[in-house]
Amino acid sequence: MLRQLWWKLLGAGILVIVLIIGLGTPLKSGILESFPLSAAVGETVTLDVRGYNTHFATATSQSAYLKNSEQRVVSASLIEVKSEQDAAFTFNLPTGDLASRESLTLIVNNEKDGSIILPSALLLKEGSPSNQSSTARWEPLMVNELHRSEGYRFPYRNILHETIRNTFFHVAIWFAMFILFITGLVNSILYLVRRNLVYDKIASAFTEVGIVYGMVGLATGSMWAKFTWGAWWTDDIKLNMSAIAILIYLAYLILRRSIHDIDSKARLSAAYNVFSFLILIPLIFIIPRMTDSLHPGNGGNPALGGEDLDNTLRLVFYPSIIGLTLLGVWLSSLSYRLSILKDRWILNHK
Amino acid sequence: MSNLINSYNSLLSNLLIILICLVPQLMLAASVDFLRSIGKIYSVIGVIVILFLALIGYLIYLDRKITRLENQNLNDE
Repeated sequence: MLRQLWWKLLGAGILVIVLIIGLGTPLKSGILESFPLSAAVGETVTLDVRGYNTHFATATSQSAYLKNSEQRVVSASLIEVKSEQDAAFTFNLPTGDLASRESLTLIVNNEKDGSIILPSALLLKEGSPSNQSSTARWEPLMVNELHRSEGYRFPYRNILHETIRNTFFHVAIWFAMFILFITGLVNSILYLVRRNLVYDKIASAFTEVGIVYGMVGLATGSMWAKFTWGAWWTDDIKLNMSAIAILIYLAYLILRRSIHDIDSKARLSAAYNVFSFLILIPLIFIIPRMTDSLHPGNGGNPALGGEDLDNTLRLVFYPSIIGLTLLGVWLSSLSYRLSILKDRWILNHK
Repeated sequence: MSNLINSYNSLLSNLLIILICLVPQLMLAASVDFLRSIGKIYSVIGVIVILFLALIGYLIYLDRKITRLENQNLNDE
């Protein structure tokens, strides 16, 4: 099984498909920005809107709405399309006895892009008495007039934009790391029970590749953070705790390399591996959930739900976990076979 | 035989130097603001490059272990 080629090619093939689909699929349309940012009630305002992957010019039935917190809308009275990405929408804002400021959501709707939204696009302020003559009214939103985007496209998310594709690599490699660590843990326990050195070799090979994967997870997370949070590293609890977890595992490598007696090396490192896995779980899964965290999946942020991981993403994300895991097993098996050869050589020459 | 191994090793280290030279360029690219306007695709490229470099790094590590074992065998014979 270890020497057979088919599962190695399967892993590599899956990763090639993940790369092609994961990078080649376009994002859904979205709104990058809109200007001006605020207007008074009763005013007529023209919003300059810049879209992303939009088809303003080729779409035929264009409509735009501003939605308030009561889910009621005002439609654009004038639409001026400048290009596929740029358009200007003019709204006659209704008058009203607005007690407090309110932020409105911009909805642009056409048959090519579906209905795309920009939350908090316009801040509605109290107006002067002179422009209280507007005849516009807040009306209920006709949901059946809204189009849906068609075809296989990844979700467009503000701030994330194209980096949503990092899910296939950054998140998947942490999942693959866990599978490798669990395999290492099981083999460490098997060694402690049966005292067979083969289990020790397997455990060390899998844990070693798991550590490489964990360090890739930290580095890719840092790269993602730079583009979305604006810093290579923040003092977010999830980041620090996972860095500590990887450092604890690094100590496993140092432990193995500092003991020369084969049996005590195997016994000590197997026991250490059990403890480091037991500390990994609270460090990565429990402590970050107990406080606030920017990282998805912690402190009340959803991770594997909603639009952050919809079905189009899952279709690439799950194969990516399988592909990276198979690749990790491949690397581990090379490391394991090498250690077997080394032992054989030592036996032959003593 | 050892000549062949040496030339192979120097090829590997050259490759490593080229790959390491790519990293500061990537860092520079991250600081340029216009990338925000094209949807931050460079972040994805950076992530894939890191993954690739780590896998190559692990292969080099295994490669050196194999070389050591080979050399021990050669000396023995």
